[in-house]
Amino acid sequence: MTFLQEKRAIGIAFIAAVLIAFVPSFATSYTVSMVMLLLLFYTLAQSWDWVGGELGYVNLSHYASYGIGAYVFAIAYTNGAHFLVALALASLVTSVIIALISIPLFRLQGEYFAFATLALLPLFDILASNLKSLTNGTEGIILPAEQVTGIAFLLMVGLAFLTFVTTTLIVHSPFGLVVRSIRDDEEAAESIGVRVLPRKIMVISAAIAATAGGIHGWYLSFIDPGTMFGLDVALVPIAMALLGGSALLWGPIVGVIVLVFLNQWLLAYFSILHAAFYGLIILLVGRYLPGGLLRSSLVRRIKFVSLLAKEHHERSSVSGNIVEGLDLTPPASGEQDVALECRSVSKNFGGNAALSDVSLTVRRGEIVGLIGANGSGKTTLFNCISRIYDVSSGEVLVDGQPITGLRKDEVAHAGIGRTYQIPRSFERMTVRENVTTALLGRSDPPRFEDALNEAARFVCYVGLGHHLDDSVSTLSAQKRKSLELARALATSPKILLIDEVASGLTPTEIDQFVAHIRELRDRYGLTIIWVEHIFSALAQVVDRVVVLEQGKVIANGTLDVVLTDEAVQRSYFGAKAAETEPC
Amino acid sequence: MLTVSNLQVEIDRLQILWDVNLKLEVGERVGLLGANGAGKSTTMAALLGMARANGGSIHLFEDDITNAATTRILAAGIGLVPEGRQLFPALSVEENLRMGCFLRAHRKAYRERLDYVYDLFPILKEKSRQMAGDLSGGQQQMVAIGRAMMGQPRLLLLDEPFIGVAPIVVTTVLDVLRRIAGNGVTVLLVEQNVHRALEFVDRAYVIDNGRTVHEGQSKALLNDGAFAEKFLGLE
Amino acid sequence: MAYLPDFGILAQLLINGILLGGLYALIAFGLSVIYGVAGILNFAHGTILAMISIAAAILFESLRLPLAVILLVLTPAGFVFGWVFHKVLLSPLQAREPHQRTIGTVLVTVGALIIIGDVTAVLAGAEQRVIRLSSTFFEIGSVIVSGTQIGILVAVSVSMIALHLFLVMSWTGSSIRAVAQNRIGAALCGADASNTSAMTFAIGASIVAIAGVLYVISYPVNPYSGFPLTVKAFSIILLGGVGNLPGTLIAGLFLGVAEAFVAFYWAPQWAPAISIIIVLGGLLLFPGLARTRRAA
Repeated sequence: MTFLQEKRAIGIAFIAAVLIAFVPSFATSYTVSMVMLLLLFYTLAQSWDWVGGELGYVNLSHYASYGIGAYVFAIAYTNGAHFLVALALASLVTSVIIALISIPLFRLQGEYFAFATLALLPLFDILASNLKSLTNGTEGIILPAEQVTGIAFLLMVGLAFLTFVTTTLIVHSPFGLVVRSIRDDEEAAESIGVRVLPRKIMVISAAIAATAGGIHGWYLSFIDPGTMFGLDVALVPIAMALLGGSALLWGPIVGVIVLVFLNQWLLAYFSILHAAFYGLIILLVGRYLPGGLLRSSLVRRIKFVSLLAKEHHERSSVSGNIVEGLDLTPPASGEQDVALECRSVSKNFGGNAALSDVSLTVRRGEIVGLIGANGSGKTTLFNCISRIYDVSSGEVLVDGQPITGLRKDEVAHAGIGRTYQIPRSFERMTVRENVTTALLGRSDPPRFEDALNEAARFVCYVGLGHHLDDSVSTLSAQKRKSLELARALATSPKILLIDEVASGLTPTEIDQFVAHIRELRDRYGLTIIWVEHIFSALAQVVDRVVVLEQGKVIANGTLDVVLTDEAVQRSYFGAKAAETEPC
Repeated sequence: MLTVSNLQVEIDRLQILWDVNLKLEVGERVGLLGANGAGKSTTMAALLGMARANGGSIHLFEDDITNAATTRILAAGIGLVPEGRQLFPALSVEENLRMGCFLRAHRKAYRERLDYVYDLFPILKEKSRQMAGDLSGGQQQMVAIGRAMMGQPRLLLLDEPFIGVAPIVVTTVLDVLRRIAGNGVTVLLVEQNVHRALEFVDRAYVIDNGRTVHEGQSKALLNDGAFAEKFLGLE
Repeated sequence: MAYLPDFGILAQLLINGILLGGLYALIAFGLSVIYGVAGILNFAHGTILAMISIAAAILFESLRLPLAVILLVLTPAGFVFGWVFHKVLLSPLQAREPHQRTIGTVLVTVGALIIIGDVTAVLAGAEQRVIRLSSTFFEIGSVIVSGTQIGILVAVSVSMIALHLFLVMSWTGSSIRAVAQNRIGAALCGADASNTSAMTFAIGASIVAIAGVLYVISYPVNPYSGFPLTVKAFSIILLGGVGNLPGTLIAGLFLGVAEAFVAFYWAPQWAPAISIIIVLGGLLLFPGLARTRRAA
């Protein structure tokens, strides 16, 4: 979606908001309460989706923020605060509480995170029921009887609109792209320099939910633990977001509308078991349409719907042919001579010594080949350098500075770029977006528009120009390896670690690749360590070769010398080859 | 005994094997050589029904086992020592071996087979109660081979069994494999170390980019001084 | 020293806490095994328990069946229910990529939670039910224990031991543990991950059935009591480690005792909050707990 489409979406939402704002003046009170409910659930569902859909952390306690907000509002209001002040307090206090709780929460990942958030719901129910002096316990708080429907309604419309706008901002911003990279592969994202505190998004999400709680509480004029923290309702906004289509701009709206109307219809026609039917719909969606309604092929056949269902991908506003060459600055002269040093690095997994006392020095501008049989520790060494693993002992230094204790993103900023043996692309993004994320991960990132354009350079450099705006999921394994390289280069590394890129390439492609390697060093001053099995490729370009066997360095020198080394021969070819030729 | 004809295998929309042809007679020791990514492991997986063939066939004696269920293939007498061993790290050595007899048909012979495996690898009997995850690479490899042998296979497939195994242990394992072959088990060995493979097998196939491109008796391949270099792409 | 702790009270609280904790641990066991092998977050876990508890109470009241018979009827029923539930609803989800799988599981089990709760309420009524057993009381020192409590303790212990023996000694049990640790290795041995997952889920459901019957003897249950219990089970697993049964037992006992003490020394209504505070506190103080903790 370009900036224009973004404006259009906001425009549509604005018109809708204005129209809805007039509803109370001509509709029945039943309709008004229905619309209020729609607005409320939309706000809750959408704000949930920022954390659950965009970031990928399934937060089941979201409804609690709504309840806390309602309570803070009610307490403040009944103590004489002006309603706007009470709302602000609701938002603020909830944000602080959620921020604090997030500290231990985000130590968990995936399903463990979901487990833990689930536990928070009944906690607040209990707190609300038992902190009687504050909350009046299970009797609840009764707000002064005033005619506030009108204002509350308008506030809710405003909040819903704000939520929508925030969504477009998050989704269409560089921040949104970076957030989605975390969802796709958090570790790979960190390795290209991305650092996002999920807490930030969680707090914004909670703040919105809390404000909605305050407004709704005011509207209801009565709050109690059951209404505010009711477990039977707590998971519904989440189901709505998922039902419509998580991580889609119009997904939560669709989900909310479908489920609210469904609920009303069921209430009207099924006096008993209406909850069960409601649950059945949710279950069936989970079973058959986990991507949500907007992603199902059936639903997409409807023309209008397919418009709503477009996944958002960033494109560049600049069209036309791509310029040659990369925008990488060679390091200034006078930089340290030794680019990378490993001192006695060891890595153990249980009883297995994957690396034993590995020491090596790589000078700036060298191209070093790293070879060894399968299981000799090459990828483990790369993982120790890029901090995917913690070393068991020893040190790794870049430009003389130890990096052994740094975070993965700090290592990327220190100048280490790498590709993975099994490509770790951001699956749900396009090729361009993958590389753009790397550009945004730099310590001094370019502007978003510039990054989107720059990405094209790197993509063309590795020969994927035709696939610039294709989804990564359509790429073959070979092309993903090329994408790995483009993305690693985009981080503007000083030292590039390449893990087995050449297997599966034709001889011509190998030659091209080797030419690139040479150019990366000659023209852009990169230092390169290259893990490879195909010696003919290595022979063309490496200055030096390091041989690993069983986690130890057994040879370190030029390729011809190393290949005639007895130990190396034994490792690769077996003892016989080291003996004399047959007569 | 085993006939693989024009085998084609696709994984995740990518065609990995295009045309693999192998023939093994009972009691033979055959090697499967090739560079990384050539398709050796995929061939092994297909033999065990763990990768889907979209062309060609696999026959065990007269039985067509192309795309048969793994349980059926195991019952027919094929066992695999997979790349990376795939042990159960929090189960004891003995429990790992026991899983090798999981198939209903094999359960009766459990005690007998366990004694046989302990006879092949006495050190495993010593360490029978230790967690497999705590063992050294070589010992883990023994467990993996032992586990495959528990099912009394007629055909034993080994996929790179010497990765992460100390050279001294490799010798011990090779001796055991010779014993196993001596007991009448047909062996198909995937191995990266060409000479080590050729010392053990009678003949070998070479796979390159998903196709069998070469076949020869070990002696002939060993005497071809340039074979290893050609094979590893140094030219 | 003016103040001396009343050991009688401490002991009584300890006994009560252990009883409660034992039940909690048993409930968590079911979930632990399921999650460890089938990788399923079953949000409907507690709701299934509530359903069975209510069924047990009805069987007791209207048919006057002895407890042993009720257990014998409901445990296999739980097994079958679990098997079908998994095969029909959950196993197709396993083929999906992780994010979709999590979402699918959340939606399916939440949907199931709502359906089961509502259907149970409609068929059996929404009121609290409990099985009241007349029982003799024993005095050990100043501690009073009822025969029922002892019986429950024994039943819980027997169930746990039986489960442990099953997992360790039987072929199926070994295959369950194997699949949890390495699917590929297990497939090579002929242990199909999909069938094993169904079996595991069914076993988990039978454990839940047993726990449900035992639970309703001590505490009242209504169709909506399930979810808080699910939350407790999740907290226990988080503390004890997935698939780590001894750890889960300790965590469960700890939780039960903590609740008993909090209920007495502070106020009963705060007791349920303990589990959550412990989990969050534990994660805050011991970041190591947070690393993915499957049966290593």
